[in-house]
Amino acid sequence: MSVTANRESRMERRYRRLLALYPKDHRREHAEEMVGVLLAADGDAPVRAPNPAAWARRFGRHTADMADLAGGALRIRGRVALNRIRRTRWLSVTVRDRRWSDALSVVSVIAPLLLLIAALTEFRIPQAVASSITGHPHWGVSATLGLADLPMAAGAPGVILLVFLGLRRLAALGALATAIGQIAAGAVPAFAGYADPAVAFTVLLSCTAAVALLFSPGPDRGLALLTRSGTALVGAGALILGGFSLGGDAWSAGQVAGLPADLLIAAVLITAAAACLRGPVSRRALALLAIPVIPYAFLWQEKLAADLFGQPGDGSAVIPSSIPLLYLPPLLLASLILTGTWFARRRAGERDRQVGSATSGPRSAMSA
Amino acid sequence: MQEPTFLILTALAAGAQHGYGIMTDVARISDGRVRLRAGTLYAALDRLKADGLVTGDKEEVVDGRLRRYYRITDEGTAKLAAEVRRLRANAAVAACRLGLAGGTA
Repeated sequence: MSVTANRESRMERRYRRLLALYPKDHRREHAEEMVGVLLAADGDAPVRAPNPAAWARRFGRHTADMADLAGGALRIRGRVALNRIRRTRWLSVTVRDRRWSDALSVVSVIAPLLLLIAALTEFRIPQAVASSITGHPHWGVSATLGLADLPMAAGAPGVILLVFLGLRRLAALGALATAIGQIAAGAVPAFAGYADPAVAFTVLLSCTAAVALLFSPGPDRGLALLTRSGTALVGAGALILGGFSLGGDAWSAGQVAGLPADLLIAAVLITAAAACLRGPVSRRALALLAIPVIPYAFLWQEKLAADLFGQPGDGSAVIPSSIPLLYLPPLLLASLILTGTWFARRRAGERDRQVGSATSGPRSAMSA
Repeated sequence: MQEPTFLILTALAAGAQHGYGIMTDVARISDGRVRLRAGTLYAALDRLKADGLVTGDKEEVVDGRLRRYYRITDEGTAKLAAEVRRLRANAAVAACRLGLAGGTA
């Protein structure tokens, strides 16, 4: 066997091993032609006398081909998985509704924005800004980064960057990875982190962002609905919330501007909710954003109780947070949204059928 | 429309081609700037087939290797034509603002 044939069979084996990453159906249909294309491209490259530079070039080309093959498998598998989720009845019913789809678009802008601000609070950046504005000497920027902070510190800016680049699905996967990263970080020590409302808030916010990015027409549509001034208002509101409230170990390090800050946070939340109640799309966006905001409310009442009755972290919270209390209400709300839209859709379908039979009835009688 | 998609549809607009033919044609059309690799090409073809813009054509065996040809559908042609119109309009405005010959806006 010649040297070229030997190299070809070695490469073919490597390519075939990588093709195992592709879904079975795709492999059955395209594996042979893909191997043919890869070997043809390989054979087309200039073959020179063996020297280190030529070897390095060939090695680089093969590595790039293999990375590209793995990337292609990931893209196809991602698309297959996404289509499978989209075909499920519950989701397709919700997403087909124009008002819900618009609300998801709005949330696909707001949730990554909130995620970024929540990540900044890990470094106390909004708190330091709020501190300098109010003159309350409570926070300075913190540069410490623990292992548990990594998913948010890397994930949130990554999601925003991908949204900005228009890579909506990748951004959704990034948000999902951020949620999974936080869940993994919370598992050490086992489950201790999950009962923390700040963790529950960021985990659920990441999940909400992922769902909105995956199942909405995208942030472009959301920005068109929000308008620039609306987006700026949301950003300002989120900065106020971040500046005076949440963030990792915020509670053990002292009060954050005391009772006036609690009232300011409540005022921002109530104003935002009242403004959202006016329109059908914003009402739906409010319902979707309420999913992560429920644990945030727990965080708020813990701070309020500490400001009114005692020291932070001394267990003076009116409602002590626990895993069921933090995660069950958001889960119930999500289930309510899905069942509500399903029933609404079914009612609309029945109404359409009744109207259809009412209008076709006389016509068929006339034709008969 | 992303550039690789545009170039694949452009390559197929001239007639049905097999995978390797599309790769070399895309490199030629883009003057060597875009070099598609097999993973990217087949992920794009998979998506374009699912969207109904491209469909499978004939198959042949050359030197013991399978070659499958792909061709652009009517929907794909319409989409490519719409993209050409959009790019042409944008280019015309840009050319006009830069004071280049051929600008119309």
